[in-house]
Amino acid sequence: MTAITASRFTLSGINRGLPGFARFWAYLGAIIGVSAYAMFGPDGYGEDGIFYFLTASAFSWIGIGAVAGLASGTALGMAKPSVTESKWSVNLVPFLDGALLMLLLTTVETFFEPSAANFNYLDQSNLLSGSIIMTMNVTLLASALLYITHLFAPASIVGRLATASAWVGIYAGGSALLLRWYESYMLDPAIGHAPVSNLYEVFILLFCITTIVYLTLERRYGARAMGAFVMPLVSAGVFFGIWLSAHGHAEIKPLVPALQSYWMKIHVPMNFIGYGSFAVACGAGMAYLVRERLEMRGAKASLLAVFPSLDQLDQLAYKAVAIGFPAFTLATILGAAWAAEAWGGYWSWDPKETWALIVWLVYGAYLHVRVSHGWKGHALAWWTVAGFLVTVFCFIGVNMYLSGLHSYGRL
Amino acid sequence: MNTQHWFKPYFDRLSSMSLAIALLTVLAMASAIGTVLKQNQELTDYLTQFGPLWYNVFISLGLFDMYHTPWFFGLLTFLMVSLCICLWRNVPTFLKEMRSRKVVITDKSLKGFHHLKHWKIKGIQADEASARVGKTLSEWEQKTGEEDGRIYIRGDKGRYHKWGYILVHGAILIILVGGWVGAQFGFRGTMTVVENSTDNTIRFLKGTRSDQLKMPFDVRCDNFFIDFYPTGMPKEFRSTLSILENGKVMVDHKDIIVNEPLFYKGVRIYQASFGDGGSEVSLRLYDPTSGKSRVIKTEVYKTWKDPDTGISLEITNFRPFNIENMAEAGEAKKFKDLGPAVEYIVRGPNLKAVKIKSFMNSFELDGQNRGQMIMVSMTGDDRDFQPFPLGLDVSKPTDWKLYTSFIEALNRRGGATDRDANFAAFKEAMTSVYGENRPEDFQQMGMRVLQAMSSLPNLPWPYIPVLEDYKQVYYTGLELTQDPGMNTVWVGSALLVIGLCIMFYVPHRKLWVVFKPVDQGVEITLGAMTNRNKLGFESEFNALLTRLDDSLAPQTNNRSAA
Repeated sequence: MTAITASRFTLSGINRGLPGFARFWAYLGAIIGVSAYAMFGPDGYGEDGIFYFLTASAFSWIGIGAVAGLASGTALGMAKPSVTESKWSVNLVPFLDGALLMLLLTTVETFFEPSAANFNYLDQSNLLSGSIIMTMNVTLLASALLYITHLFAPASIVGRLATASAWVGIYAGGSALLLRWYESYMLDPAIGHAPVSNLYEVFILLFCITTIVYLTLERRYGARAMGAFVMPLVSAGVFFGIWLSAHGHAEIKPLVPALQSYWMKIHVPMNFIGYGSFAVACGAGMAYLVRERLEMRGAKASLLAVFPSLDQLDQLAYKAVAIGFPAFTLATILGAAWAAEAWGGYWSWDPKETWALIVWLVYGAYLHVRVSHGWKGHALAWWTVAGFLVTVFCFIGVNMYLSGLHSYGRL
Repeated sequence: MNTQHWFKPYFDRLSSMSLAIALLTVLAMASAIGTVLKQNQELTDYLTQFGPLWYNVFISLGLFDMYHTPWFFGLLTFLMVSLCICLWRNVPTFLKEMRSRKVVITDKSLKGFHHLKHWKIKGIQADEASARVGKTLSEWEQKTGEEDGRIYIRGDKGRYHKWGYILVHGAILIILVGGWVGAQFGFRGTMTVVENSTDNTIRFLKGTRSDQLKMPFDVRCDNFFIDFYPTGMPKEFRSTLSILENGKVMVDHKDIIVNEPLFYKGVRIYQASFGDGGSEVSLRLYDPTSGKSRVIKTEVYKTWKDPDTGISLEITNFRPFNIENMAEAGEAKKFKDLGPAVEYIVRGPNLKAVKIKSFMNSFELDGQNRGQMIMVSMTGDDRDFQPFPLGLDVSKPTDWKLYTSFIEALNRRGGATDRDANFAAFKEAMTSVYGENRPEDFQQMGMRVLQAMSSLPNLPWPYIPVLEDYKQVYYTGLELTQDPGMNTVWVGSALLVIGLCIMFYVPHRKLWVVFKPVDQGVEITLGAMTNRNKLGFESEFNALLTRLDDSLAPQTNNRSAA
């Protein structure tokens, strides 16, 4: 056994069995601790900047949750070893580990934040998160280029570099967002809020989620060629993000009263899981169409060999929709719940709501023709591409061309 | 049987998948129309926008209140009917399928399996092999059977997958029903309550007409409070409300903010908007030639008329804060509160009606007093306000004195307008007002007077109304809703999400292991299928195969080999 396989063995080992299971429970406990603190804690949701204020009570709630989770997870796992192989813990623990790593990375980043004298609300150009977001932009663009290069040089190290830079992009983007959360409190505790309140912030969230969904599929099914289609979509978004920041949309702004709700932190990220997955589905659909084209033209076998088979691409697109559709449904329902609390009704036929319904109907129809009519391949690949265009309109087009209640992200 | 005959084809058609997909598509396209065409605007706006022809076409289709038209409602009803028939036809089949677990399977149907493997093992009997395999497949729900000397094991995982379909489609039906109940028996309207007064009537749009409804209780606004961020953006709107029934206080001084409504007897009361509730304002009218002034009192939304000149002032709004970005273009933002201001429309004989915003305080910039400023909008639109500096700090009698003396001094010079003459006139005016003790800020005063020279004589009105004093009253804009169908919608939503999770994440996996005795051993066939995640199942199938093979390996031999 070589050293590499040994280390791989141990790395995959810690996600399985008792270590993975106990850790999963510890994370669950910590999440329950945070939620309980938010709902019943002494400061509650009046102040969601728990990592800025660093109150001992907040940490004790989280800590107690984590320790209780760890203890019950360990006990359960030792009492009945078969439960430790539960799919939930094995599948979710890597994501939770990643989230913890991102939090630690953000903590390190806060040490490099310039002192308070170097920035204020009116001049935010010295904030560190700006530079980290630029790092994310660069790595994501690089990864798109590397993925495309990988199509033509599959044997070289380029593919692995592409994957690596995509990972770097996720950690840069994710930690920059968390840092922005912290910075919003540094500017003024009255301004502080979660970084999902305007178009610029949610764009960064979208890049991260799209890339995470893609990398998860790449890792599980070895579909690296798909990256050459997904990451350019992300790159197009990156350019739009750069445009937004150049036009002064990148500033941290205080929340309007309508957005001052814990629902914002739930509804918005959930929506972007949907959007991100639909982007990945579109990437898989495009890869399908390209491979089909190449096959028809009798392309070189070496080029075709990089691609997953048509059947696999079809399945991957479906898989991405299968992640996105329930998430999008839940997000829309959560949005309705928020609307019922803030706008006087769960549904107002607001343009954003209506377009969310249209997106939902488009993918609902996709699932019907696929599952019940047995459609496959070509037509459905086009469907995912068209569906994504509708999604993009729902996300950006509505803000640009139609007004309504969702005008926080107006351009 | 015969009686069913005539509607059977329609019945099939209504529950068919093609119809469902067509319905979803039509619904999506119809919904899109209402987002592109702004809903519930003033009818006259539509008329000017589209012209009489299209206006009439659109209005006969009900496109200006599209989501409440009979045809849109019909579309939704059609969807409900289709869903009902679909459930009616399929649920019994699904339930039967989930209940029946056939163990014995023919070779022919096994051949159709995506994942299939045959192999032979020597030195083991079929019954022992099946026992060992049964133990290995402990996480599968098993059923065993025997026929023609063969032993069959059937394993199932996620046998309740079809419940996903049933739940999802049922949930959509429930949501539509909840929505219908809400639209039919609920209400949603606005109520504006001025501070320290009560109201009990909500107003809402019915189609493109407005309508009203009396509530069984009175709402009193005890206080309205608005808080701003340093940037001038509103931070919080807070109304303190009391609810009264027949004069009896049922809810006393309860605060509501935007995301925290008040719930009273099935009615939710939301903070929706706010505005001026008719503040009392005093205006001081300055004569622009002499600075003589008098005070008038009026209220917001009222019109004050001057019988002598025929001029009328319609007070449209009052604001206690006016935070503006004072930075030049390209500079970092600089927010400043310009203080209270009143807005009014001036009308009069031979005058173009214009809208004016008049501040209470003199305008200060970089520590210098730049005199009174008004904003003028020639069109009456708030976006067209242009600053118009009056020059003088009108509240200071010395400013007026200096201004009038300056004009007199200029007149004495009889038309000489060169720099020296101006300067001499100004000096003369300064001396006549202050004698030899000039105040320290006389340069600023000079600037103000010069500015006034270019603005005051150009004013078309006989006086300038400047805000003198105010007593502010807000109104709070409330939204009152009652939706008896809402909880049904939430139940439907929960079922929808649960159903989707079952559909997507709990695939139904079936496997059969067939043991066929052959000489000196057994021939084993493993066949498996899944209805979801076919990619992932490939590796799972291979892992399963290895496990089964290991469990069937002759154990004694294995030990001796080791």
